[in-house]
Amino acid sequence: MSASLTLRVPNRIEAFAGVTEAVETLGREEDWAPDVAYAVVLALEELATNVVRHGGSEEGASEIEIEVVSTDTEARVEVRDGGKPFDPFHDAPEPDTEAVLEDRKIGGLGVHLVRVLMDEASYRREGGRNHVTMVKRRS
Amino acid sequence: MNVQAEHHDGVLVAKVEGRVDSSNSQDFERQLHEAFGDDAGAVVMDLGQLAYISSAGLRVVLLVAKTLGQRNVGISLCSLSGPVQSVFEISGFNRIIQIHENRTDALAAAGK
Repeated sequence: MSASLTLRVPNRIEAFAGVTEAVETLGREEDWAPDVAYAVVLALEELATNVVRHGGSEEGASEIEIEVVSTDTEARVEVRDGGKPFDPFHDAPEPDTEAVLEDRKIGGLGVHLVRVLMDEASYRREGGRNHVTMVKRRS
Repeated sequence: MNVQAEHHDGVLVAKVEGRVDSSNSQDFERQLHEAFGDDAGAVVMDLGQLAYISSAGLRVVLLVAKTLGQRNVGISLCSLSGPVQSVFEISGFNRIIQIHENRTDALAAAGK
């Protein structure tokens, strides 16, 4: 089986509920394991939230394009936006997951979770747009 | 998402149900503060019915743990399952907040 989904949403946090619902429906139809569905939804949320916060355009003023492709072996996700160049895997700070509670910084966790939960994660700048591609293998 | 507060012998149990993401994490923070009030001696967050949490929700858990820590109120988590448990471990939260397998263990530890 193979299926795909392309969504264009405004760069607003509230727009994300519809994305989660659409991706979870695709996951059910494609029979994803719970950890695959969780990882894909989380990766999309973290990356899209990053674009809204750091993309450089006013909230709601631009669009984020999301593409999900499901095959027998993997779920592949791409997040594209026309904001300023930003490579989340190099430009975002790494959280100190060894720190004690008093020293632990708030935040910085999203990209770390994506790196660990997804099997592949890469960034490229192409045609004046940011492209983040992530893959979760299904076995 | 919904937070329900229950009292067990001086320990406040906050049961979290549903999904916590960037669209409702502020509401999550407000509901937790309301549940904990100012006089809880110890707090257990029961996450058995938490289906999904992203970094936005983890940020709130960390904030709340820090605030309670400053007031010398003990906080622990219990009943995490599946991917939710993985997310807490990947974040390193199992090193900064006590996590118990079930509510009974959490209450026993909190009562000591």
